[in-house]
Amino acid sequence: MTLFERIFGKKEASASKAKDRLTIMLAHERADCAVPYLDDLKRDLLEVIKKYTQVRDIHVKSENNQNVDMLEIEIQLDK
Amino acid sequence: MGEIITVTSGKGGVGKSTLSANLAVGLAQAGKKVVAIDFDIGLRNLDMILGLENRIVYDVVDVMEGRCNLSQALINDKRAKNLYFLPASQTSDKNILDRDKVEKLLEELKKEFDVVILDSPAGIESGFEHSIFLADRALIVSTPDVSAVRDADRVIGIIDAKSEKAKAGQEVQKHVVINRIKQDMVDKGNMLSVEDVLSILALPLIGIVPEDENIITSTNEGEPIYYNEKSSASKAYKNIAKRVLGEDVPFMDISVKKGFFGRIFG
Repeated sequence: MTLFERIFGKKEASASKAKDRLTIMLAHERADCAVPYLDDLKRDLLEVIKKYTQVRDIHVKSENNQNVDMLEIEIQLDK
Repeated sequence: MGEIITVTSGKGGVGKSTLSANLAVGLAQAGKKVVAIDFDIGLRNLDMILGLENRIVYDVVDVMEGRCNLSQALINDKRAKNLYFLPASQTSDKNILDRDKVEKLLEELKKEFDVVILDSPAGIESGFEHSIFLADRALIVSTPDVSAVRDADRVIGIIDAKSEKAKAGQEVQKHVVINRIKQDMVDKGNMLSVEDVLSILALPLIGIVPEDENIITSTNEGEPIYYNEKSSASKAYKNIAKRVLGEDVPFMDISVKKGFFGRIFG
């Protein structure tokens, strides 16, 4: 492989382009589905809160910075 | 109790059914009692790859709905005596599978067979979920192109979320099979290499299958490529079957074996 890279290297690096594009795309997509139970959680939360008060909407966001994984839950109440 | 191995990929057309068929033959040849089930409801295919399409009377939905006994629906392969096959139904109602009925059937098969191979449909809809929720092990097939790798990554991300085993705190073994590698293109930097794909998917490798035109002729004839001993794909599938059985088989060097470039510069 290296010999070819040396000969053709820069001209025909479509594979490395593919790898770069995939890596970037997947970093994005993985963040989206890092919490696979998000929809279920939202539904369950909604049901519990409905017992006590009127809910307009629930937003659940997952965040991670370095070594802390966080779920941010925002509950909008109906007025 | 038998082991359930699900063959899946996300993207269609990457070689799930071909892997399912050849793995099933390989494990059966190794003395395991194997049943291969086509879970692609409405788009039956595994039957033709195995060359068993003319022997179908009942299908997997007939069994689940109680229209026949399991033994009436199971087709015993004549070449690999330990291999049984359960075809997909050709109904257009793809939501026909019922979780409880799938579970009942698979539990029954696990008692009778050493290995249950589930050929999952493409996509991540209910058919995929039914094929994965009881899996002990998943083989994820990808070709070295961006769309297949991306879809494989997505499937890998949801296997645990859909798996009963993972819910019970156990691990679903996951391995990658890289299919249709053209080593001469990899050498020129024009195809993702095995290492590229693995570094992206971050899972252990269980097989590399080189691009092989013999697959087309063997599918035409309904004789799994496994039996074509001269072909490189056959060798690759043989190795995968051995690794599934726990043997430590080195990965074959496709760069030297394959093609003009390999021979001159390898």
